Amino acid sequence: MKLSYIQRIAGAVLGYCSLLLLMAAFSGTSYAVSTADHTRFKELQQDFKSGPEVTRACIKCHTEAAKQIHKTNHWTWEFLNPDNKQRLGKRNILNNFCITPQSNFAYCTACHIGYGWKDETFDFTSEESVDCLVCHDSTGTYSKPPGKAGHPKDTVDLKHVAQQVDKTSRDTCGACHFFGGGGNGVKHGDMDDSLAVPERELDVHMDAVGEDFTCATCHRHVEHDVAGSRYTPEAAHSEDYHIHRKQFEEENNAHCRACHGNKPHKKVDKSRLNNHAKKIACQTCHIPRIARGGVATRVTWDWSTAGKLDESGNPLQQRVDGNLVYHGKRGTFTYAANVEPEYIWFNGEVRYLLLNEKAVVNEDGYVPINDFGGSPDDGKSRIWPVKVFRGVQPYDPVMGTLVVPHTTGLNEDAYWKNFDWEKAITAGMLSAGQPFSGKVDFIKTQMSWPINHMVAPAEDAVGCDECHSKNGRLKDIEGIYIPSRDASVRLDTAGWFITLLTLVGVLMHGFGRIVSNLWSKR
Amino acid sequence: MKRHKSVFAVLVVILLAVSPVVEAAKGNWKKGRIYYRMVCTDCHVNQAGGKISPAEKTKAEWAEYFEKNIHGPQDAPAKYAASYFVSKEYRESIKDTNRAAAKMLKIPDEQLLEDVKAFLNHTAKDSDQPSRCE
Repeated sequence: MKLSYIQRIAGAVLGYCSLLLLMAAFSGTSYAVSTADHTRFKELQQDFKSGPEVTRACIKCHTEAAKQIHKTNHWTWEFLNPDNKQRLGKRNILNNFCITPQSNFAYCTACHIGYGWKDETFDFTSEESVDCLVCHDSTGTYSKPPGKAGHPKDTVDLKHVAQQVDKTSRDTCGACHFFGGGGNGVKHGDMDDSLAVPERELDVHMDAVGEDFTCATCHRHVEHDVAGSRYTPEAAHSEDYHIHRKQFEEENNAHCRACHGNKPHKKVDKSRLNNHAKKIACQTCHIPRIARGGVATRVTWDWSTAGKLDESGNPLQQRVDGNLVYHGKRGTFTYAANVEPEYIWFNGEVRYLLLNEKAVVNEDGYVPINDFGGSPDDGKSRIWPVKVFRGVQPYDPVMGTLVVPHTTGLNEDAYWKNFDWEKAITAGMLSAGQPFSGKVDFIKTQMSWPINHMVAPAEDAVGCDECHSKNGRLKDIEGIYIPSRDASVRLDTAGWFITLLTLVGVLMHGFGRIVSNLWSKR
Repeated sequence: MKRHKSVFAVLVVILLAVSPVVEAAKGNWKKGRIYYRMVCTDCHVNQAGGKISPAEKTKAEWAEYFEKNIHGPQDAPAKYAASYFVSKEYRESIKDTNRAAAKMLKIPDEQLLEDVKAFLNHTAKDSDQPSRCE
């Protein structure tokens, strides 16, 4: 069959277009590295109108994924501490950052791995409400703004994101965890977006051109349940190497010894350093400072100063060195970069101050929102680095409890709308089902965060003299004798006495040798 | 026949115009980010008075920057074209002091340039960045 000239041109054009499309499909826009090319799945070749539509397509093949997610803390935001039976999790506890998601769900669930959690009516059994993309996006274009109850931005190209899904990455985990507390590096101090592309000096494991660990390298998951909970952290790990061993599949591998074992120091003065590991957490020496990646971490937050407006009637905002130091909706903040952590004895037991419990001020004048257990004598504690975050937040002086303010949203009860604490707290406590006297005062609180990330290379670890000195890092740690820091009159006297005896012995021996030598010559 | 030839010519012109659009999507923004932060920013911080945020320019401004292909002062030698600073020649020259340059030494010049372009496109001033509570 002979083709006309036009047909030949059309054929050539069609072929060229096909070639371009293939280039775009298979090499051009691909971010994912996977054994499955999701662009070729018919289920994903549609213009999705919403997140749940994407999930419906995902679970046609990944039939168990949503059911697995339903069992995880990432989904329930609830955790029952098996030791002290406290009902914890993001939906139950308070903090001294944004205080609590309660009565503010539509705003805070921007960081929930689901769609639609705006109030108590949210259906936790709905499979299509699971957000697959927030953890599996590889394009970096997927985002969930506050106020949409976990739904993505309207501008997100859901088809493109769904076709480019991949394993989780530092970017996907970091989209929430780097920004905990409402901004970059605000909450943790050892996690901010500098860890997306870290240098070796910032994190020796995550080094983007070195080991290139993702979060999931340590925080391994079993059926979507990710290891490493801060509600029941493990302060001391007695077991030896076990990562990648099948029999330990369901154990927490998110700790140093899972890879480094119980005798981690192999080179210099190994026995002395390995002995240190019996009383000191690895993190104490190997994370010398936090907020080292160029992002300052917030260290204080004073809600009592909130409410100032500018000339236009909008919440006043002030920045210093790029950091937000005042916001009319939230109050006053201070920051620090390259921060030396504080140190405590920690045995892994954490007790939280819950909404229905009295707020008790400690000897430093703060209400501890979480209390870390530990002592030098219990045999299971290590000296740990922590970031201690101090704040001033609203409380009920009559009931003696911390309170839930309804801050977010545009309704008349919301603090960010009316700047009236009594109205906001009345609405918040009603939503939380807790009593409120109607009186509002402010109280100083503190909260501790164990430090685990930003592990420095060995050569940058804390030096001996930084602890073995009078005013060193561990100056406030009690119950352990640290040479050069501590002095005991009896021990020092005994030591000097032995030294003196040794000196006398050496001198006498030397004198005897000289005398006997002279004697023999005579 | 003449008419057919002119139709063909028009189609070719259209297709050639379309090609760069497809080409623009070739880069891997994550690789580009590593190079930008660990090579470009490292040098700018140490030798050129501070880092340049990708958000300092819009997508169009970054496109114009690469179109002009001038990195340094206007009268700088051709060696200082923007594309030179992603070239193998440049990476080779700094590989002993820059681990990222050493690690990315084998990536073809054109590919790495596309990666960097993709990253800048991804985080430009008018890009659709994720919202934060703040």
